[in-house]
Amino acid sequence: MTSIGTGYDLSNSVFSPDGRNFQVEYATKAVENGGTAIGLRCKDGVVLAVEKLIQSKLLVPGSNKRIATVDRHVGIACAGLIPDARHFVSRARNEASSWRKGYYGPIPISSLADRMGQYAQTYTLFSSVRPFGVTSIIGGLDEEGGPSLWMVEPSGVTWGYFGAATGRGRQAAKAELEKLDLPNITVEEGVKHAARIILIAHGDNSGKDKDYELEMTWVRMPPNGEAEIAADGTVRGYGRHEEVPKDIVEQAEKDAKKAVEGDDDDEKMAES
Amino acid sequence: MFRNNYDNDSVTFSPQGRIFQVEYALEAIKQGSAAVGLVSNTHAVLIALKRNAEELGSYQKKIIGIDTHLGVALAGLAPDARVLSNFMRQQSMSSRFLYNRPVPVARVVNAIADKAQVNTQHYGRRPYGVGLLVAGVDETGPHLWEFQPSGMVLEYRGAAIGARSQSAKTYLERNYESFGDATREELVLHGLTALRDTLAQDKELTTANVSLAIVGKDEKFKLYDGDEVAEWLEKLGNTQSSRGSRGAAAAPPAPEAAAPAGDSMDVDA
Repeated sequence: MTSIGTGYDLSNSVFSPDGRNFQVEYATKAVENGGTAIGLRCKDGVVLAVEKLIQSKLLVPGSNKRIATVDRHVGIACAGLIPDARHFVSRARNEASSWRKGYYGPIPISSLADRMGQYAQTYTLFSSVRPFGVTSIIGGLDEEGGPSLWMVEPSGVTWGYFGAATGRGRQAAKAELEKLDLPNITVEEGVKHAARIILIAHGDNSGKDKDYELEMTWVRMPPNGEAEIAADGTVRGYGRHEEVPKDIVEQAEKDAKKAVEGDDDDEKMAES
Repeated sequence: MFRNNYDNDSVTFSPQGRIFQVEYALEAIKQGSAAVGLVSNTHAVLIALKRNAEELGSYQKKIIGIDTHLGVALAGLAPDARVLSNFMRQQSMSSRFLYNRPVPVARVVNAIADKAQVNTQHYGRRPYGVGLLVAGVDETGPHLWEFQPSGMVLEYRGAAIGARSQSAKTYLERNYESFGDATREELVLHGLTALRDTLAQDKELTTANVSLAIVGKDEKFKLYDGDEVAEWLEKLGNTQSSRGSRGAAAAPPAPEAAAPAGDSMDVDA
Protein backbone atom coordinates (compact mmCIF):
# COMPACT_ATOMS: atom_id res chain seq x y z
CA MET A 1 0.00 0.00 0.00
CA THR A 2 3.05 2.27 -0.22
CA SER A 3 1.84 3.60 -3.54
CA ILE A 4 -1.32 5.10 -2.09
CA GLY A 5 -1.38 8.80 -2.73
CA THR A 6 0.97 8.64 -5.72
CA GLY A 7 -2.03 9.00 -8.01
CA TYR A 8 -1.82 5.60 -9.63
CA ASP A 9 -4.69 4.23 -7.58
CA LEU A 10 -7.32 6.78 -8.53
CA SER A 11 -8.45 5.33 -11.83
CA ASN A 12 -9.25 1.92 -13.13
CA SER A 13 -7.17 0.56 -16.04
CA VAL A 14 -4.05 2.42 -14.94
CA PHE A 15 -0.83 0.59 -14.11
CA SER A 16 1.44 1.79 -11.35
CA PRO A 17 5.19 1.95 -12.20
CA ASP A 18 5.68 -1.46 -10.63
CA GLY A 19 2.93 -3.00 -12.74
CA ARG A 20 -0.01 -3.15 -10.39
CA ASN A 21 -3.60 -2.20 -10.99
CA PHE A 22 -4.68 -0.72 -7.70
CA GLN A 23 -8.38 -0.33 -8.39
CA VAL A 24 -8.61 -4.07 -8.96
CA GLU A 25 -6.81 -4.68 -5.67
CA TYR A 26 -9.21 -2.34 -3.90
CA ALA A 27 -12.15 -4.20 -5.41
CA THR A 28 -10.75 -7.33 -3.80
CA LYS A 29 -10.82 -5.45 -0.51
CA ALA A 30 -14.58 -5.02 -0.92
CA VAL A 31 -14.86 -8.79 -1.23
CA GLU A 32 -12.86 -9.30 1.94
CA ASN A 33 -15.47 -7.34 3.90
CA GLY A 34 -18.34 -9.54 2.79
CA GLY A 35 -19.71 -12.70 4.43
CA THR A 36 -17.77 -15.89 3.79
CA ALA A 37 -18.72 -18.07 0.81
CA ILE A 38 -17.37 -21.56 0.19
CA GLY A 39 -17.69 -24.29 -2.40
CA LEU A 40 -16.88 -27.98 -2.12
CA ARG A 41 -16.34 -30.20 -5.14
CA CYS A 42 -17.24 -33.67 -3.90
CA LYS A 43 -17.26 -37.11 -5.52
CA ASP A 44 -20.82 -36.94 -6.80
CA GLY A 45 -21.65 -33.26 -6.79
CA VAL A 46 -20.95 -29.77 -5.53
CA VAL A 47 -21.92 -27.99 -2.31
CA LEU A 48 -22.16 -24.20 -2.04
CA ALA A 49 -22.54 -22.42 1.29
CA VAL A 50 -22.56 -18.82 2.47
CA GLU A 51 -22.47 -17.07 5.80
CA LYS A 52 -25.28 -14.54 5.42
CA LEU A 53 -24.72 -11.80 7.95
CA ILE A 54 -27.94 -10.51 9.47
CA GLN A 55 -27.75 -6.74 9.93
CA SER A 56 -31.22 -6.33 11.46
CA LYS A 57 -33.70 -8.58 13.18
CA LEU A 58 -36.44 -6.88 11.19
CA LEU A 59 -35.31 -8.73 8.06
CA VAL A 60 -37.56 -11.57 6.99
CA PRO A 61 -35.79 -14.79 8.05
CA GLY A 62 -34.69 -16.94 5.14
CA SER A 63 -35.18 -14.17 2.59
CA ASN A 64 -32.59 -12.20 0.65
CA LYS A 65 -30.79 -15.19 -0.79
CA ARG A 66 -27.08 -15.03 -1.60
CA ILE A 67 -26.75 -18.18 -3.70
CA ALA A 68 -28.37 -18.01 -7.10
CA THR A 69 -29.37 -20.62 -9.64
CA VAL A 70 -27.92 -19.76 -13.04
CA ASP A 71 -29.19 -22.73 -14.98
CA ARG A 72 -30.73 -25.91 -13.67
CA HIS A 73 -27.28 -27.50 -13.30
CA VAL A 74 -25.30 -24.46 -12.09
CA GLY A 75 -25.26 -22.32 -8.97
CA ILE A 76 -23.26 -19.25 -7.96
CA ALA A 77 -22.33 -18.22 -4.43
CA CYS A 78 -20.95 -14.72 -4.04
CA ALA A 79 -19.02 -12.68 -1.51
CA GLY A 80 -18.65 -8.92 -1.66
CA LEU A 81 -20.97 -6.19 -2.92
CA ILE A 82 -24.38 -7.84 -3.22
CA PRO A 83 -25.73 -5.56 -5.97
CA ASP A 84 -22.65 -6.29 -8.07
CA ALA A 85 -23.21 -9.98 -7.44
CA ARG A 86 -26.76 -9.71 -8.74
CA HIS A 87 -25.51 -8.07 -11.92
CA PHE A 88 -22.86 -10.77 -12.31
CA VAL A 89 -25.38 -13.57 -11.81
CA SER A 90 -27.76 -11.99 -14.29
CA ARG A 91 -24.96 -12.01 -16.87
CA ALA A 92 -24.24 -15.66 -16.07
CA ARG A 93 -27.91 -16.50 -16.65
CA ASN A 94 -27.78 -14.81 -20.03
CA GLU A 95 -24.65 -16.80 -20.95
CA ALA A 96 -26.28 -20.05 -19.90
CA SER A 97 -29.50 -19.40 -21.78
CA SER A 98 -27.77 -18.21 -24.93
CA TRP A 99 -25.67 -21.37 -24.83
CA ARG A 100 -28.85 -23.42 -24.73
CA LYS A 101 -30.24 -21.46 -27.67
CA GLY A 102 -27.10 -21.99 -29.71
CA TYR A 103 -26.05 -25.51 -28.82
CA TYR A 104 -29.26 -27.16 -27.58
CA GLY A 105 -27.71 -28.27 -24.33
CA PRO A 106 -26.57 -27.14 -20.92
CA ILE A 107 -23.45 -24.97 -20.75
CA PRO A 108 -20.36 -26.79 -19.43
CA ILE A 109 -19.33 -25.26 -16.10
CA SER A 110 -15.80 -24.64 -17.37
CA SER A 111 -17.16 -22.63 -20.31
CA LEU A 112 -19.45 -20.61 -18.08
CA ALA A 113 -16.64 -19.89 -15.64
CA ASP A 114 -14.37 -18.92 -18.52
CA ARG A 115 -16.92 -16.52 -19.98
CA MET A 116 -17.65 -15.00 -16.60
CA GLY A 117 -13.93 -14.54 -16.08
CA GLN A 118 -13.72 -12.68 -19.38
CA TYR A 119 -16.69 -10.55 -18.40
CA ALA A 120 -15.07 -9.61 -15.09
CA GLN A 121 -11.81 -8.91 -16.87
CA THR A 122 -13.35 -6.39 -19.26
CA TYR A 123 -14.31 -4.31 -16.23
CA THR A 124 -10.60 -3.85 -15.45
CA LEU A 125 -9.76 -2.46 -18.89
CA PHE A 126 -11.54 0.87 -18.96
CA SER A 127 -11.43 3.97 -16.82
CA SER A 128 -15.14 4.42 -17.49
CA VAL A 129 -16.11 1.49 -15.32
CA ARG A 130 -15.01 -0.05 -12.04
CA PRO A 131 -14.18 -3.70 -11.44
CA PHE A 132 -16.74 -5.95 -9.78
CA GLY A 133 -16.55 -5.89 -6.01
CA VAL A 134 -17.38 -9.55 -6.05
CA THR A 135 -15.68 -12.92 -6.00
CA SER A 136 -18.01 -15.67 -7.13
CA ILE A 137 -17.86 -19.40 -6.72
CA ILE A 138 -19.44 -21.20 -9.64
CA GLY A 139 -20.39 -24.82 -9.08
CA GLY A 140 -22.21 -27.37 -11.14
CA LEU A 141 -22.41 -30.78 -12.72
CA ASP A 142 -21.50 -31.31 -16.35
CA GLU A 143 -23.21 -33.77 -18.64
CA GLU A 144 -19.85 -35.38 -19.06
CA GLY A 145 -17.03 -34.98 -16.60
CA GLY A 146 -19.09 -34.67 -13.45
CA PRO A 147 -18.74 -32.07 -10.72
CA SER A 148 -16.95 -28.83 -11.42
CA LEU A 149 -16.08 -25.87 -9.18
CA TRP A 150 -14.60 -22.52 -10.17
CA MET A 151 -13.86 -19.19 -8.59
CA VAL A 152 -13.90 -15.88 -10.50
CA GLU A 153 -12.14 -12.93 -8.89
CA PRO A 154 -12.58 -9.19 -9.60
CA SER A 155 -9.44 -9.25 -11.76
CA GLY A 156 -11.02 -11.87 -14.01
CA VAL A 157 -8.75 -14.59 -12.67
CA THR A 158 -10.62 -17.90 -12.95
CA TRP A 159 -9.34 -21.07 -11.37
CA GLY A 160 -10.80 -24.49 -10.82
CA TYR A 161 -10.93 -25.84 -7.27
CA PHE A 162 -11.73 -28.84 -5.14
CA GLY A 163 -12.46 -26.50 -2.27
CA ALA A 164 -12.90 -22.75 -2.71
CA ALA A 165 -13.36 -20.02 -0.10
CA THR A 166 -13.79 -16.26 -0.29
CA GLY A 167 -15.06 -13.42 1.87
CA ARG A 168 -13.72 -12.34 5.21
CA GLY A 169 -13.49 -15.76 6.84
CA ARG A 170 -11.67 -17.31 3.87
CA GLN A 171 -8.38 -17.97 5.69
CA ALA A 172 -9.98 -20.10 8.37
CA ALA A 173 -12.24 -21.74 5.79
CA LYS A 174 -9.30 -22.61 3.52
CA ALA A 175 -7.43 -24.16 6.41
CA GLU A 176 -10.43 -26.40 7.11
CA LEU A 177 -11.03 -27.24 3.45
CA GLU A 178 -7.43 -28.41 3.08
CA LYS A 179 -7.99 -31.02 5.78
CA LEU A 180 -10.74 -32.71 3.77
CA ASP A 181 -10.34 -35.49 1.23
CA LEU A 182 -12.70 -33.66 -1.13
CA PRO A 183 -12.45 -35.86 -4.25
CA ASN A 184 -13.62 -38.85 -2.22
CA ILE A 185 -16.44 -37.57 -0.03
CA THR A 186 -20.10 -37.52 -0.96
CA VAL A 187 -22.30 -34.46 -1.23
CA GLU A 188 -24.12 -35.54 1.95
CA GLU A 189 -20.83 -35.51 3.84
CA GLY A 190 -19.85 -32.28 2.11
CA VAL A 191 -22.95 -30.56 3.49
CA LYS A 192 -21.93 -31.44 7.04
CA HIS A 193 -18.41 -30.15 6.50
CA ALA A 194 -19.69 -26.97 4.83
CA ALA A 195 -21.90 -26.16 7.82
CA ARG A 196 -18.98 -26.67 10.17
CA ILE A 197 -16.56 -24.64 8.05
CA ILE A 198 -18.95 -21.68 7.81
CA LEU A 199 -19.38 -21.83 11.58
CA ILE A 200 -15.62 -21.82 12.11
CA ALA A 201 -15.08 -19.07 9.54
CA HIS A 202 -17.71 -16.97 11.27
CA GLY A 203 -16.23 -17.63 14.70
CA ASP A 204 -12.96 -15.99 13.72
CA ASN A 205 -14.89 -12.85 12.83
CA SER A 206 -17.40 -12.51 15.60
CA GLY A 207 -17.48 -8.78 16.06
CA LYS A 208 -20.58 -6.67 15.87
CA ASP A 209 -22.05 -8.87 13.13
CA LYS A 210 -22.60 -11.85 15.34
CA ASP A 211 -25.84 -13.05 13.77
CA TYR A 212 -25.74 -15.05 10.60
CA GLU A 213 -27.88 -17.42 8.60
CA LEU A 214 -26.39 -20.47 6.93
CA GLU A 215 -27.47 -20.75 3.32
CA MET A 216 -26.60 -23.95 1.49
CA THR A 217 -27.27 -25.42 -1.93
CA TRP A 218 -26.03 -28.45 -3.78
CA VAL A 219 -25.74 -29.68 -7.34
CA ARG A 220 -25.99 -33.41 -7.70
CA MET A 221 -27.42 -36.26 -9.69
CA PRO A 222 -31.11 -36.84 -9.19
CA PRO A 223 -31.42 -39.86 -6.86
CA ASN A 224 -32.42 -42.26 -9.64
CA GLY A 225 -29.37 -41.22 -11.66
CA GLU A 226 -31.21 -41.07 -14.92
CA ALA A 227 -30.90 -38.35 -17.44
CA GLU A 228 -33.93 -36.21 -18.02
CA ILE A 229 -35.11 -36.27 -21.56
CA ALA A 230 -37.36 -33.49 -22.73
CA ALA A 231 -40.33 -33.92 -25.02
CA ASP A 232 -38.27 -32.83 -28.03
CA GLY A 233 -35.66 -35.49 -27.32
CA THR A 234 -32.92 -33.20 -25.96
CA VAL A 235 -31.07 -34.51 -22.95
CA ARG A 236 -31.37 -32.00 -20.16
CA GLY A 237 -28.23 -32.96 -18.31
CA TYR A 238 -27.87 -34.73 -15.02
CA GLY A 239 -27.16 -32.04 -12.49
CA ARG A 240 -29.70 -30.20 -10.44
CA HIS A 241 -28.87 -27.10 -8.45
CA GLU A 242 -31.24 -26.74 -5.52
CA GLU A 243 -31.43 -25.67 -1.92
CA VAL A 244 -30.32 -28.27 0.58
CA PRO A 245 -33.53 -29.39 2.35
CA LYS A 246 -34.21 -27.48 5.55
CA ASP A 247 -34.05 -30.50 7.88
CA ILE A 248 -30.65 -31.53 6.53
CA VAL A 249 -29.29 -28.00 6.96
CA GLU A 250 -30.61 -27.81 10.51
CA GLN A 251 -29.10 -31.18 11.39
CA ALA A 252 -25.77 -30.19 9.82
CA GLU A 253 -25.77 -26.94 11.79
CA LYS A 254 -26.52 -28.76 15.02
CA ASP A 255 -23.75 -31.29 14.40
CA ALA A 256 -21.37 -28.49 13.46
CA LYS A 257 -22.01 -26.64 16.70
CA LYS A 258 -21.44 -29.81 18.64
CA ALA A 259 -18.23 -30.59 16.78
CA VAL A 260 -16.82 -27.08 17.17
CA GLU A 261 -17.78 -26.81 20.84
CA GLY A 262 -16.34 -30.27 21.39
CA ASP A 263 -13.04 -29.07 19.98
CA ASP A 264 -13.06 -26.13 22.35
CA ASP A 265 -13.63 -28.44 25.29
CA ASP A 266 -10.72 -30.61 24.21
CA GLU A 267 -8.49 -27.57 24.03
CA LYS A 268 -9.57 -26.47 27.48
CA MET A 269 -8.83 -29.93 28.77
CA ALA A 270 -5.40 -29.79 27.21
CA GLU A 271 -4.70 -26.40 28.72
CA SER A 272 -5.65 -27.40 32.25
CA MET B 1 -4.96 18.80 3.16
CA PHE B 2 -6.96 15.83 4.27
CA ARG B 3 -9.07 15.68 1.15
CA ASN B 4 -10.66 12.41 0.24
CA ASN B 5 -9.46 11.59 -3.27
CA TYR B 6 -11.65 8.56 -3.63
CA ASP B 7 -15.06 10.18 -3.49
CA ASN B 8 -15.33 11.99 -6.81
CA ASP B 9 -17.18 9.35 -8.78
CA SER B 10 -18.83 5.99 -8.41
CA VAL B 11 -16.17 4.13 -10.41
CA THR B 12 -13.39 4.55 -7.87
CA PHE B 13 -12.84 2.17 -5.00
CA SER B 14 -11.15 3.50 -1.88
CA PRO B 15 -8.18 1.46 -0.59
CA GLN B 16 -10.64 -0.11 1.87
CA GLY B 17 -12.88 -1.23 -0.95
CA ARG B 18 -15.57 1.37 -0.34
CA ILE B 19 -17.37 3.44 -2.98
CA PHE B 20 -17.92 6.82 -1.39
CA GLN B 21 -20.25 8.24 -4.02
CA VAL B 22 -22.64 5.40 -3.30
CA GLU B 23 -22.33 5.95 0.43
CA TYR B 24 -23.06 9.66 -0.07
CA ALA B 25 -26.16 8.74 -2.06
CA LEU B 26 -27.33 6.74 0.94
CA GLU B 27 -26.95 9.96 2.96
CA ALA B 28 -29.38 11.71 0.60
CA ILE B 29 -32.12 9.43 1.92
CA LYS B 30 -31.64 10.87 5.40
CA GLN B 31 -32.32 14.37 4.03
CA GLY B 32 -35.88 13.33 3.31
CA SER B 33 -38.61 13.02 5.90
CA ALA B 34 -39.33 9.60 7.33
CA ALA B 35 -41.35 6.76 5.85
CA VAL B 36 -42.36 3.60 7.69
CA GLY B 37 -43.55 0.27 6.36
CA LEU B 38 -44.91 -2.84 8.05
CA VAL B 39 -46.34 -6.21 7.06
CA SER B 40 -48.69 -8.61 8.77
CA ASN B 41 -49.84 -11.98 7.49
CA THR B 42 -52.64 -10.25 5.60
CA HIS B 43 -51.66 -6.64 4.99
CA ALA B 44 -48.80 -4.34 4.08
CA VAL B 45 -48.85 -0.72 5.19
CA LEU B 46 -46.86 2.36 4.24
CA ILE B 47 -46.94 5.52 6.33
CA ALA B 48 -44.96 8.66 5.63
CA LEU B 49 -44.39 12.10 7.04
CA LYS B 50 -44.87 14.85 4.46
CA ARG B 51 -43.04 18.16 4.52
CA ASN B 52 -43.95 21.51 3.02
CA ALA B 53 -41.19 23.89 1.98
CA GLU B 54 -43.15 26.94 3.07
CA GLU B 55 -46.31 27.73 4.90
CA LEU B 56 -48.27 28.50 1.73
CA GLY B 57 -46.81 25.64 -0.27
CA SER B 58 -48.24 22.22 -0.73
CA TYR B 59 -46.85 19.10 0.92
CA GLN B 60 -44.41 16.88 -0.95
CA LYS B 61 -45.86 13.63 -2.19
CA LYS B 62 -44.40 10.69 -0.28
CA ILE B 63 -46.36 7.65 -1.41
CA ILE B 64 -46.84 6.62 -5.02
CA GLY B 65 -49.21 3.92 -6.19
CA ILE B 66 -47.74 1.57 -8.81
CA ASP B 67 -50.55 -0.88 -9.43
CA THR B 68 -53.62 -2.18 -7.60
CA HIS B 69 -51.43 -4.55 -5.59
CA LEU B 70 -48.34 -2.41 -5.16
CA GLY B 71 -47.01 0.97 -4.06
CA VAL B 72 -43.91 2.77 -2.81
CA ALA B 73 -43.02 5.28 -0.13
CA LEU B 74 -39.94 7.42 -0.69
CA ALA B 75 -37.32 9.37 1.19
CA GLY B 76 -34.72 11.46 -0.60
CA LEU B 77 -34.77 12.95 -4.08
CA ALA B 78 -38.39 12.89 -5.23
CA PRO B 79 -37.56 13.24 -8.96
CA ASP B 80 -35.44 10.09 -8.78
CA ALA B 81 -38.34 8.31 -7.16
CA ARG B 82 -40.55 9.38 -10.05
CA VAL B 83 -38.14 7.84 -12.55
CA LEU B 84 -38.09 4.59 -10.58
CA SER B 85 -41.83 4.49 -9.97
CA ASN B 86 -42.55 5.15 -13.66
CA PHE B 87 -40.25 2.26 -14.49
CA MET B 88 -42.05 0.06 -11.98
CA ARG B 89 -45.40 1.01 -13.52
CA GLN B 90 -44.10 -0.03 -16.93
CA GLN B 91 -42.88 -3.34 -15.54
CA SER B 92 -46.17 -3.89 -13.83
CA MET B 93 -48.16 -3.09 -16.94
CA SER B 94 -46.05 -5.28 -19.22
CA SER B 95 -46.54 -8.15 -16.77
CA ARG B 96 -50.27 -7.71 -17.10
CA PHE B 97 -50.12 -7.60 -20.90
CA LEU B 98 -47.60 -10.41 -21.34
CA TYR B 99 -48.55 -12.83 -18.61
CA ASN B 100 -52.02 -11.59 -17.71
CA ARG B 101 -51.10 -11.35 -14.07
CA PRO B 102 -49.96 -8.74 -11.59
CA VAL B 103 -46.18 -8.56 -11.32
CA PRO B 104 -44.67 -10.35 -8.28
CA VAL B 105 -43.32 -7.82 -5.79
CA ALA B 106 -39.85 -9.37 -5.69
CA ARG B 107 -39.62 -9.23 -9.49
CA VAL B 108 -40.28 -5.52 -9.78
CA VAL B 109 -38.07 -4.74 -6.81
CA ASN B 110 -35.18 -6.67 -8.32
CA ALA B 111 -35.73 -4.85 -11.60
CA ILE B 112 -35.13 -1.44 -10.01
CA ALA B 113 -32.23 -2.88 -8.01
CA ASP B 114 -30.49 -3.97 -11.20
CA LYS B 115 -31.21 -0.58 -12.74
CA ALA B 116 -29.65 1.17 -9.75
CA GLN B 117 -26.59 -1.07 -9.69
CA VAL B 118 -25.56 0.01 -13.20
CA ASN B 119 -25.40 3.61 -12.01
CA THR B 120 -22.79 2.64 -9.44
CA GLN B 121 -20.41 0.99 -11.90
CA HIS B 122 -20.24 3.37 -14.86
CA TYR B 123 -18.51 6.73 -15.12
CA GLY B 124 -20.66 9.75 -15.87
CA ARG B 125 -23.65 8.44 -14.02
CA ARG B 126 -24.70 9.07 -10.48
CA PRO B 127 -26.44 6.70 -8.13
CA TYR B 128 -30.10 7.39 -7.44
CA GLY B 129 -30.52 9.65 -4.42
CA VAL B 130 -33.63 8.06 -3.08
CA GLY B 131 -34.61 5.21 -0.80
CA LEU B 132 -37.87 3.38 -1.31
CA LEU B 133 -40.10 1.17 0.74
CA VAL B 134 -42.06 -1.07 -1.57
CA ALA B 135 -45.20 -2.65 -0.18
CA GLY B 136 -47.30 -5.08 -2.15
CA VAL B 137 -49.25 -8.28 -2.22
CA ASP B 138 -48.73 -11.19 -4.62
CA GLU B 139 -49.43 -14.94 -4.77
CA THR B 140 -47.08 -15.48 -1.85
CA GLY B 141 -48.75 -12.90 0.39
CA PRO B 142 -47.93 -9.37 1.53
CA HIS B 143 -44.35 -8.15 1.25
CA LEU B 144 -42.27 -5.16 2.27
CA TRP B 145 -38.96 -4.38 0.57
CA GLU B 146 -36.43 -1.65 1.14
CA PHE B 147 -34.59 -0.31 -1.89
CA GLN B 148 -31.30 1.58 -1.58
CA PRO B 149 -29.35 3.64 -4.15
CA SER B 150 -26.53 1.10 -3.95
CA GLY B 151 -28.83 -1.36 -5.70
CA MET B 152 -29.34 -3.23 -2.47
CA VAL B 153 -32.83 -4.57 -1.84
CA LEU B 154 -33.84 -6.40 1.32
CA GLU B 155 -37.12 -7.87 2.47
CA TYR B 156 -38.31 -6.72 5.87
CA ARG B 157 -41.10 -7.35 8.37
CA GLY B 158 -40.94 -3.69 9.33
CA ALA B 159 -38.70 -0.92 8.02
CA ALA B 160 -38.12 2.81 8.27
CA ILE B 161 -36.12 5.23 6.11
CA GLY B 162 -35.48 8.97 6.12
CA ALA B 163 -34.74 11.58 8.77
CA ARG B 164 -34.64 10.27 12.33
CA SER B 165 -35.80 6.88 11.07
CA GLN B 166 -33.61 5.23 13.70
CA SER B 167 -36.25 6.10 16.32
CA ALA B 168 -38.92 4.37 14.25
CA LYS B 169 -36.64 1.35 13.72
CA THR B 170 -36.15 1.10 17.46
CA TYR B 171 -39.91 0.99 17.94
CA LEU B 172 -40.32 -1.60 15.18
CA GLU B 173 -37.56 -3.79 16.61
CA ARG B 174 -39.31 -3.79 19.98
CA ASN B 175 -42.68 -4.72 18.51
CA TYR B 176 -42.14 -6.69 15.32
CA GLU B 177 -43.05 -10.03 16.87
CA SER B 178 -46.68 -8.95 17.10
CA PHE B 179 -46.89 -7.72 13.48
CA GLY B 180 -47.58 -11.12 11.94
CA ASP B 181 -50.92 -11.66 13.66
CA ALA B 182 -51.82 -7.98 13.87
CA THR B 183 -55.12 -6.81 12.43
CA ARG B 184 -55.24 -4.17 9.73
CA GLU B 185 -55.99 -1.54 12.35
CA GLU B 186 -53.29 -2.64 14.77
CA LEU B 187 -50.75 -2.62 11.98
CA VAL B 188 -51.57 0.96 10.96
CA LEU B 189 -51.42 2.13 14.57
CA HIS B 190 -48.03 0.45 15.04
CA GLY B 191 -46.90 2.32 11.93
CA LEU B 192 -48.22 5.66 13.13
CA THR B 193 -46.56 5.19 16.51
CA ALA B 194 -43.26 4.41 14.81
CA LEU B 195 -43.66 7.45 12.57
CA ARG B 196 -44.50 9.64 15.54
CA ASP B 197 -41.14 8.73 17.04
CA THR B 198 -39.42 10.36 14.06
CA LEU B 199 -41.02 13.75 14.69
CA ALA B 200 -38.80 16.68 15.50
CA GLN B 201 -39.25 18.59 18.73
CA ASP B 202 -42.63 20.33 19.11
CA LYS B 203 -43.94 18.76 15.93
CA GLU B 204 -47.16 16.81 15.62
CA LEU B 205 -48.79 14.31 13.28
CA THR B 206 -51.64 16.07 11.47
CA THR B 207 -54.02 15.28 8.66
CA ALA B 208 -51.89 17.56 6.51
CA ASN B 209 -48.54 15.87 7.07
CA VAL B 210 -49.43 12.19 7.27
CA SER B 211 -49.75 9.99 4.22
CA LEU B 212 -50.93 6.43 4.62
CA ALA B 213 -51.39 3.54 2.23
CA ILE B 214 -52.82 0.09 2.83
CA VAL B 215 -52.77 -2.98 0.64
CA GLY B 216 -54.07 -6.39 1.64
CA LYS B 217 -54.80 -9.86 0.36
CA ASP B 218 -58.39 -8.81 -0.33
CA GLU B 219 -57.82 -5.09 -0.43
CA LYS B 220 -56.52 -3.04 -3.32
CA PHE B 221 -53.67 -0.61 -2.75
CA LYS B 222 -55.18 2.64 -1.56
CA LEU B 223 -53.60 5.89 -0.54
CA TYR B 224 -55.17 7.88 2.28
CA ASP B 225 -54.38 11.59 2.51
CA GLY B 226 -55.72 14.65 4.28
CA ASP B 227 -59.07 14.16 6.02
CA GLU B 228 -58.97 10.44 5.24
CA VAL B 229 -56.29 9.95 7.89
CA ALA B 230 -58.21 11.87 10.55
CA GLU B 231 -59.90 8.76 11.95
CA TRP B 232 -56.52 7.02 12.24
CA LEU B 233 -54.98 9.95 14.09
CA GLU B 234 -57.96 9.91 16.43
CA LYS B 235 -57.37 6.23 17.13
CA LEU B 236 -53.72 6.94 17.77
CA GLY B 237 -54.64 9.51 20.41
CA ASN B 238 -51.41 11.31 21.20
CA THR B 239 -49.97 12.83 18.02
CA GLN B 240 -47.27 14.95 19.68
CA SER B 241 -43.56 14.40 19.33
CA SER B 242 -42.22 12.61 22.38
CA ARG B 243 -38.99 14.56 22.20
CA GLY B 244 -38.95 16.92 25.20
CA SER B 245 -39.90 20.45 24.27
CA ARG B 246 -38.54 23.43 26.12
CA GLY B 247 -41.79 25.36 26.24
CA ALA B 248 -43.82 22.52 27.71
CA ALA B 249 -41.07 20.83 29.68
CA ALA B 250 -43.21 20.50 32.77
CA ALA B 251 -46.40 19.75 30.84
CA PRO B 252 -47.77 16.19 30.54
CA PRO B 253 -46.43 15.08 27.14
CA ALA B 254 -43.00 14.38 28.58
CA PRO B 255 -41.29 11.18 27.30
CA GLU B 256 -42.46 9.15 30.32
CA ALA B 257 -46.04 10.27 29.86
CA ALA B 258 -45.99 9.72 26.12
CA ALA B 259 -44.85 6.12 26.32
CA PRO B 260 -48.02 4.62 27.81
CA ALA B 261 -50.06 6.35 25.10
CA GLY B 262 -48.05 4.34 22.59
CA ASP B 263 -48.74 1.11 24.39
CA SER B 264 -52.46 1.63 24.64
CA MET B 265 -53.09 1.03 20.99
CA ASP B 266 -55.69 -1.61 21.33
CA VAL B 267 -57.84 0.94 23.07
CA ASP B 268 -60.34 2.30 20.62
CA ALA B 269 -60.17 5.98 21.37
